[in-house]
Amino acid sequence: MNLHIAATDRTPEISLTYQPLKLLIQGESFPEDVSAFYGQVINAINSLQTQAKGELQVEMAMIYINSSSIKAMYRIFEGLDAYRKAGNQVEVVWKAEEDDDIMQELGEDFKDRFQELIFSIIQHG
Amino acid sequence: MELSHAIELRNSLRKNRVIMAYNGTVSDELMLTLADMLKTRLLAHDDSKRSKLIFSVFMEGVQNLIWHGKENDDDHGMILITEVGNEITILCGNRILKSETHDLKERLDRIAGADKETIRQMYRDGMAESGEHEGPGAGLGLLEIARRSTHPINYTFDDVDDRSVDFILSATI
Repeated sequence: MNLHIAATDRTPEISLTYQPLKLLIQGESFPEDVSAFYGQVINAINSLQTQAKGELQVEMAMIYINSSSIKAMYRIFEGLDAYRKAGNQVEVVWKAEEDDDIMQELGEDFKDRFQELIFSIIQHG
Repeated sequence: MELSHAIELRNSLRKNRVIMAYNGTVSDELMLTLADMLKTRLLAHDDSKRSKLIFSVFMEGVQNLIWHGKENDDDHGMILITEVGNEITILCGNRILKSETHDLKERLDRIAGADKETIRQMYRDGMAESGEHEGPGAGLGLLEIARRSTHPINYTFDDVDDRSVDFILSATI
Protein backbone atom coordinates (compact mmCIF):
# COMPACT_ATOMS: atom_id res chain seq x y z
CA MET A 1 0.00 0.00 0.00
CA ASN A 2 1.33 3.41 -0.92
CA LEU A 3 2.10 5.81 1.89
CA HIS A 4 2.17 9.55 1.67
CA ILE A 5 2.67 12.00 4.52
CA ALA A 6 2.92 15.70 3.74
CA ALA A 7 5.64 17.76 5.39
CA THR A 8 4.96 20.09 8.31
CA ASP A 9 7.26 22.57 10.10
CA ARG A 10 8.50 19.76 12.31
CA THR A 11 7.89 16.55 10.42
CA PRO A 12 9.30 15.42 7.08
CA GLU A 13 7.54 14.53 3.87
CA ILE A 14 7.46 10.76 3.61
CA SER A 15 6.34 8.78 0.62
CA LEU A 16 6.51 5.11 -0.19
CA THR A 17 5.36 4.06 -3.63
CA TYR A 18 5.27 0.60 -5.21
CA GLN A 19 5.28 1.65 -8.86
CA PRO A 20 8.15 2.47 -9.01
CA LEU A 21 9.37 1.04 -5.72
CA LYS A 22 10.71 4.08 -3.90
CA LEU A 23 10.95 5.55 -0.41
CA LEU A 24 11.46 9.26 0.08
CA ILE A 25 12.01 11.04 3.40
CA GLN A 26 12.85 14.73 3.34
CA GLY A 27 12.65 17.75 5.60
CA GLU A 28 12.76 18.52 9.31
CA SER A 29 12.11 15.93 11.99
CA PHE A 30 11.31 16.80 15.58
CA PRO A 31 7.75 15.56 16.08
CA GLU A 32 6.12 15.98 19.48
CA ASP A 33 5.40 12.25 19.57
CA VAL A 34 8.05 10.34 17.64
CA SER A 35 6.54 6.87 18.00
CA ALA A 36 3.12 8.05 16.86
CA PHE A 37 4.63 9.72 13.80
CA TYR A 38 7.11 7.04 12.74
CA GLY A 39 5.13 3.98 13.83
CA GLN A 40 3.13 3.72 10.60
CA VAL A 41 6.25 4.32 8.51
CA ILE A 42 8.19 1.58 10.26
CA ASN A 43 5.22 -0.77 9.80
CA ALA A 44 5.01 0.05 6.10
CA ILE A 45 8.74 -0.62 5.64
CA ASN A 46 8.52 -3.87 7.56
CA SER A 47 5.70 -5.11 5.36
CA LEU A 48 7.76 -4.54 2.18
CA GLN A 49 9.20 -8.03 2.52
CA THR A 50 5.83 -9.64 2.00
CA GLN A 51 4.27 -7.07 -0.30
CA ALA A 52 7.01 -6.07 -2.72
CA LYS A 53 9.84 -7.47 -4.77
CA GLY A 54 12.80 -6.05 -6.65
CA GLU A 55 15.01 -3.01 -6.40
CA LEU A 56 14.06 -0.37 -3.85
CA GLN A 57 15.27 3.19 -4.30
CA VAL A 58 15.61 5.19 -1.11
CA GLU A 59 16.18 8.93 -0.98
CA MET A 60 16.73 10.76 2.28
CA ALA A 61 17.30 14.50 2.53
CA MET A 62 17.04 15.74 6.08
CA ILE A 63 17.52 19.30 7.29
CA TYR A 64 17.30 18.94 11.06
CA ILE A 65 16.57 15.66 12.81
CA ASN A 66 16.41 15.19 16.59
CA SER A 67 17.90 12.27 18.45
CA SER A 68 14.61 10.45 19.03
CA SER A 69 13.83 10.65 15.29
CA ILE A 70 17.29 9.25 14.59
CA LYS A 71 16.33 6.20 16.62
CA ALA A 72 13.14 5.84 14.62
CA MET A 73 15.14 6.19 11.43
CA TYR A 74 17.43 3.43 12.64
CA ARG A 75 14.33 1.18 12.78
CA ILE A 76 13.52 2.20 9.22
CA PHE A 77 17.03 1.22 8.13
CA GLU A 78 16.62 -2.11 9.90
CA GLY A 79 13.47 -2.66 7.83
CA LEU A 80 15.34 -1.73 4.66
CA ASP A 81 18.12 -4.12 5.57
CA ALA A 82 15.60 -6.90 6.18
CA TYR A 83 14.17 -6.25 2.72
CA ARG A 84 17.70 -6.57 1.32
CA LYS A 85 18.26 -9.80 3.23
CA ALA A 86 15.10 -11.18 1.63
CA GLY A 87 16.98 -11.04 -1.67
CA ASN A 88 16.28 -7.59 -3.01
CA GLN A 89 18.58 -4.75 -3.95
CA VAL A 90 18.29 -1.61 -1.84
CA GLU A 91 19.96 1.59 -2.97
CA VAL A 92 20.11 4.49 -0.52
CA VAL A 93 20.94 8.02 -1.57
CA TRP A 94 21.51 10.25 1.43
CA LYS A 95 21.49 13.94 0.55
CA ALA A 96 23.08 16.59 2.73
CA GLU A 97 23.10 20.30 2.04
CA GLU A 98 26.52 21.51 0.94
CA ASP A 99 27.57 23.19 4.20
CA ASP A 100 25.74 20.81 6.52
CA ASP A 101 28.37 18.81 8.40
CA ILE A 102 25.78 17.39 10.80
CA MET A 103 23.70 15.71 8.09
CA GLN A 104 26.83 14.64 6.21
CA GLU A 105 28.13 12.91 9.35
CA LEU A 106 24.78 11.34 10.16
CA GLY A 107 24.73 9.86 6.67
CA GLU A 108 28.18 8.40 7.34
CA ASP A 109 26.96 7.00 10.66
CA PHE A 110 24.03 5.18 9.05
CA LYS A 111 26.27 3.96 6.23
CA ASP A 112 28.67 2.56 8.84
CA ARG A 113 25.86 0.73 10.64
CA PHE A 114 24.31 -0.72 7.49
CA GLN A 115 27.32 -1.70 5.44
CA GLU A 116 25.49 -4.18 3.24
CA LEU A 117 23.21 -1.55 1.76
CA ILE A 118 24.29 0.28 -1.39
CA PHE A 119 24.71 3.68 0.20
CA SER A 120 25.83 6.93 -1.34
CA ILE A 121 26.09 10.30 0.33
CA ILE A 122 25.85 13.32 -1.88
CA GLN A 123 26.02 17.01 -1.15
CA HIS A 124 23.65 19.35 -2.85
CA GLY A 125 23.60 23.16 -2.97
CA MET B 1 9.85 42.04 42.85
CA GLU B 2 11.56 45.09 44.27
CA LEU B 3 12.92 47.29 41.53
CA SER B 4 16.32 47.18 43.16
CA HIS B 5 16.25 43.40 42.73
CA ALA B 6 15.26 43.79 39.12
CA ILE B 7 18.31 46.00 38.64
CA GLU B 8 20.55 43.41 40.31
CA LEU B 9 19.10 40.70 38.12
CA ARG B 10 19.53 42.83 35.00
CA ASN B 11 23.12 43.61 35.94
CA SER B 12 23.83 39.97 36.50
CA LEU B 13 22.36 39.03 33.11
CA ARG B 14 24.46 41.75 31.47
CA LYS B 15 27.62 40.81 33.31
CA ASN B 16 27.28 37.19 32.22
CA ARG B 17 26.34 38.19 28.66
CA VAL B 18 23.03 36.35 28.80
CA ILE B 19 21.11 36.62 25.53
CA MET B 20 18.21 34.34 26.49
CA ALA B 21 16.92 33.33 29.91
CA TYR B 22 13.94 31.23 30.92
CA ASN B 23 12.86 29.76 34.23
CA GLY B 24 9.80 27.55 34.80
CA THR B 25 7.96 24.70 33.11
CA VAL B 26 9.48 23.77 29.78
CA SER B 27 6.81 22.76 27.29
CA ASP B 28 6.88 21.70 23.69
CA GLU B 29 5.23 25.00 22.72
CA LEU B 30 7.87 26.99 24.57
CA MET B 31 10.57 25.08 22.72
CA LEU B 32 9.05 25.98 19.35
CA THR B 33 8.81 29.65 20.31
CA LEU B 34 12.36 29.85 21.63
CA ALA B 35 13.68 27.84 18.67
CA ASP B 36 12.17 30.39 16.29
CA MET B 37 13.70 33.28 18.21
CA LEU B 38 17.08 31.58 18.30
CA LYS B 39 16.96 30.74 14.60
CA THR B 40 16.27 34.36 13.71
CA ARG B 41 19.14 35.54 15.87
CA LEU B 42 21.56 32.93 14.56
CA LEU B 43 20.77 33.72 10.95
CA ALA B 44 21.58 37.37 11.64
CA HIS B 45 24.87 36.71 13.49
CA ASP B 46 26.40 33.40 12.49
CA ASP B 47 27.25 31.43 9.39
CA SER B 48 24.98 28.52 8.60
CA LYS B 49 27.45 25.79 9.64
CA ARG B 50 27.77 27.24 13.12
CA SER B 51 24.07 28.05 13.35
CA LYS B 52 23.25 24.39 12.77
CA LEU B 53 25.57 23.26 15.58
CA ILE B 54 24.07 25.78 18.01
CA PHE B 55 20.52 24.93 16.99
CA SER B 56 21.12 21.22 17.38
CA VAL B 57 22.59 21.58 20.90
CA PHE B 58 19.74 23.87 21.92
CA MET B 59 17.06 21.49 20.66
CA GLU B 60 18.53 18.40 22.32
CA GLY B 61 19.02 20.24 25.61
CA VAL B 62 15.49 21.59 25.66
CA GLN B 63 13.89 18.32 24.54
CA ASN B 64 15.64 16.64 27.43
CA LEU B 65 14.02 19.16 29.80
CA ILE B 66 10.58 18.61 28.26
CA TRP B 67 10.79 14.87 28.61
CA HIS B 68 12.03 14.91 32.20
CA GLY B 69 9.61 17.69 33.11
CA LYS B 70 6.66 15.66 31.85
CA GLU B 71 7.77 12.50 33.60
CA ASN B 72 8.42 14.13 36.95
CA ASP B 73 5.98 17.05 36.85
CA ASP B 74 8.99 19.34 37.13
CA ASP B 75 8.44 23.08 36.88
CA HIS B 76 12.05 23.92 37.73
CA GLY B 77 13.29 24.06 34.18
CA MET B 78 15.93 26.59 33.25
CA ILE B 79 17.32 27.65 29.91
CA LEU B 80 20.16 30.14 29.63
CA ILE B 81 22.12 31.16 26.58
CA THR B 82 25.20 33.32 26.91
CA GLU B 83 27.41 34.84 24.27
CA VAL B 84 30.97 35.68 25.28
CA GLY B 85 33.22 36.76 22.45
CA ASN B 86 32.39 34.38 19.64
CA GLU B 87 31.35 31.55 21.92
CA ILE B 88 27.76 30.62 22.61
CA THR B 89 27.03 28.61 25.75
CA ILE B 90 23.74 26.81 26.25
CA LEU B 91 22.82 25.89 29.81
CA CYS B 92 19.86 23.67 30.57
CA GLY B 93 18.73 22.91 34.10
CA ASN B 94 16.08 20.81 35.77
CA ARG B 95 15.28 19.21 39.10
CA ILE B 96 15.96 15.51 39.39
CA LEU B 97 15.91 12.88 42.12
CA LYS B 98 19.10 12.37 44.09
CA SER B 99 18.82 8.68 43.35
CA GLU B 100 19.22 9.41 39.64
CA THR B 101 22.43 11.38 39.99
CA HIS B 102 24.83 8.47 40.32
CA ASP B 103 24.12 6.92 36.91
CA LEU B 104 23.83 10.28 35.24
CA LYS B 105 27.13 11.49 36.68
CA GLU B 106 28.88 8.34 35.50
CA ARG B 107 27.50 8.78 32.03
CA LEU B 108 28.37 12.46 31.88
CA ASP B 109 31.94 11.84 33.06
CA ARG B 110 32.38 9.17 30.43
CA ILE B 111 31.18 11.55 27.73
CA ALA B 112 33.06 14.61 29.05
CA GLY B 113 36.30 12.65 29.17
CA ALA B 114 36.01 11.16 25.70
CA ASP B 115 37.60 12.53 22.54
CA LYS B 116 35.50 13.33 19.47
CA GLU B 117 36.19 10.02 17.79
CA THR B 118 35.15 8.04 20.89
CA ILE B 119 32.01 10.15 21.23
CA ARG B 120 31.17 9.38 17.63
CA GLN B 121 31.61 5.66 18.27
CA MET B 122 29.41 5.86 21.38
CA TYR B 123 26.87 7.71 19.27
CA ARG B 124 26.87 5.06 16.56
CA ASP B 125 26.36 2.36 19.19
CA GLY B 126 23.62 4.44 20.82
CA MET B 127 21.59 4.80 17.62
CA ALA B 128 20.49 1.18 17.87
CA GLU B 129 19.58 1.22 21.55
CA SER B 130 16.01 1.78 22.63
CA GLY B 131 15.94 2.28 26.38
CA GLU B 132 12.53 3.93 26.68
CA HIS B 133 13.09 4.74 30.34
CA GLU B 134 15.83 7.16 29.39
CA GLY B 135 13.45 9.16 27.24
CA PRO B 136 12.57 9.05 23.58
CA GLY B 137 16.16 9.85 22.63
CA ALA B 138 17.39 7.18 25.06
CA GLY B 139 20.69 8.78 25.88
CA LEU B 140 21.54 9.81 22.34
CA GLY B 141 20.72 13.43 23.19
CA LEU B 142 23.68 13.87 25.53
CA LEU B 143 26.00 12.43 22.92
CA GLU B 144 24.55 14.72 20.28
CA ILE B 145 25.23 17.71 22.54
CA ALA B 146 28.78 16.55 23.27
CA ARG B 147 29.43 15.88 19.62
CA ARG B 148 28.39 19.34 18.46
CA SER B 149 30.16 21.26 21.24
CA THR B 150 33.59 22.76 20.74
CA HIS B 151 34.55 22.14 24.40
CA PRO B 152 33.85 19.14 26.64
CA ILE B 153 30.40 19.34 28.22
CA ASN B 154 30.23 20.69 31.77
CA TYR B 155 27.71 19.93 34.47
CA THR B 156 26.85 20.48 38.10
CA PHE B 157 24.45 19.11 40.71
CA ASP B 158 23.10 21.61 43.22
CA ASP B 159 21.47 20.06 46.33
CA VAL B 160 17.90 21.16 46.99
CA ASP B 161 16.89 18.89 49.89
CA ASP B 162 17.27 15.25 50.94
CA ARG B 163 15.42 14.07 47.89
CA SER B 164 16.13 16.45 45.04
CA VAL B 165 19.00 18.03 43.16
CA ASP B 166 19.09 20.77 40.57
CA PHE B 167 21.04 19.53 37.57
CA ILE B 168 22.65 21.93 35.09
CA LEU B 169 24.28 20.91 31.84
CA SER B 170 26.41 23.37 29.94
CA ALA B 171 27.69 23.14 26.38
CA THR B 172 29.75 25.68 24.47
CA ILE B 173 29.94 26.13 20.71
